Amino acid sequence: MPAERPKRWPLVALAVIGLALIAAPFAFGMFGRAPKGAQMINSFAPYMTNRRLDGFQSDLRYIDGGVLGGQAELRALGAAGGGREAVRFPEFVTFERQWRAIDPDMTSMLDTIQANVGNYRAVAALPSFRLFPWFFVIPGAIVLLLVGLGWLRPGRWRATRWVLAVVGVGLVLAPVAFQMFSRAPKGARMVSAFTTIETRPRVERIQIYFSEIASGQGTVQLDLIPALGRAGLDARQISSTYPGLTTLDAQWVHILNDMTPMIGAMSDNVTNYQAVAALPSFRLFPWFFVLPGLIIIALVAAAGPRRRRDEASVARDPEFSSPLNEGVR
Amino acid sequence: MNARPTIRLGVTLAALASPALAAAGPASAATLKGVFNIGSGSYFRMGEPDGSFFSNPYSADSSKTYTLITPGSEGGLRTGVVQKAPSPAFDAKGDSRAGAIIKPTNFTGIRFGLATTSAPAISVSGSHLSGQVNGLVAEWNKQVFKQGNKVTGTYSAKTRRYVLTWSALIKGGPFNGFTGYWRLQGTFSPA
Repeated sequence: MPAERPKRWPLVALAVIGLALIAAPFAFGMFGRAPKGAQMINSFAPYMTNRRLDGFQSDLRYIDGGVLGGQAELRALGAAGGGREAVRFPEFVTFERQWRAIDPDMTSMLDTIQANVGNYRAVAALPSFRLFPWFFVIPGAIVLLLVGLGWLRPGRWRATRWVLAVVGVGLVLAPVAFQMFSRAPKGARMVSAFTTIETRPRVERIQIYFSEIASGQGTVQLDLIPALGRAGLDARQISSTYPGLTTLDAQWVHILNDMTPMIGAMSDNVTNYQAVAALPSFRLFPWFFVLPGLIIIALVAAAGPRRRRDEASVARDPEFSSPLNEGVR
Repeated sequence: MNARPTIRLGVTLAALASPALAAAGPASAATLKGVFNIGSGSYFRMGEPDGSFFSNPYSADSSKTYTLITPGSEGGLRTGVVQKAPSPAFDAKGDSRAGAIIKPTNFTGIRFGLATTSAPAISVSGSHLSGQVNGLVAEWNKQVFKQGNKVTGTYSAKTRRYVLTWSALIKGGPFNGFTGYWRLQGTFSPA
């Protein structure tokens, strides 16, 4: 039986594809960036749920209620005290002014984050980012190895090309198996939505907000509520007349427990986010598998079995004629 | 050859020269092992990235950017030993239970405490204190913040009164980029 030899040019092209698959993660800095992406996805996990984000929105409402309660108190005390209450509570007046900027900014940020919960889930359901560079390197190395085998041991080409075809099909099917065509674009949307959130200046602004809110809560607990007591209201009356103040006071530790780790997660992931954003768009990722896979399949087909001329000439020799080499004629 | 006179001469010269050498060079540093008791006027401040200071409404000081700290169960900062945080380090609310160095102190509604993860080392040279508290951590709201660094300060051997100051940039977490400024003062109790 004559040996089946691959055509040379498809082998060269396959080697180029293999090298390109190996080089791609290095070219895109994936070995450095992808683990940072994995870290970001893991860090965000406790916060990227509707329940938790609803909780943050409630925290903002408690603070807003405290501000409204404080305003009501100042109006009431002002009516009784000749309008000088603002002078008595300068910290609250400052916080009230700061809150006018904090509330819409934080609410808008939380709305954006909440709108991306589904997108986050889609990305988190993908295989770990840490593995992504290897999804290129390993098939690339296998292709190179098989091309080398095809080159050095042409007699085994029939088996080798089948394995190459399987690698090609695997690359084509991988994005389908991992639902990358639906999940990766969602990841792209999340990365895009977080462009204005995961920045150092924005996170620093949130940190300053936290400092201002903490100061504001302090003035509610230490100044405004005691002033109501001094004005003759007992705890129950304060709670029923100014529920916003007492609710903020009661919820404050919960708000601190809730918000500070979130601010920490935001801050700790600025560089991780930047690493993810520097990767090629997630939308392209499925095609990074499908296209090389299709090309590999096409090249394997094109490489086909090529019979050596000398073997062919031997086969044409009537002395060597046999039913097995009939097809060579 | 008899070496004894030569040795005797050498020893005599060395004995004569040593006080002169000590006077000419800097005073030798002596390690202070014991407790730097935290006295009145000790505080913590948190600098914000924009240069302003975090205002802690619960501070006992009239200027709320200074959070006054008071001695814990061991009186203050011990050198040469580690003052670990208890386990669990926090209660359900997030208040620190680390009360050996300072009494856990209210910061924005939740108490912070101090602990060390490695032994501080401080030495005195004349009236100048230097050393490190690299393993110092502040614990607050179920989070741990590294606050160690090199320390400098002053010390009176006569009264044993000291002042120690240092600052530590917070890296990571909700206060990333903020700087903790510490001042401990009081008296030193040798071990």
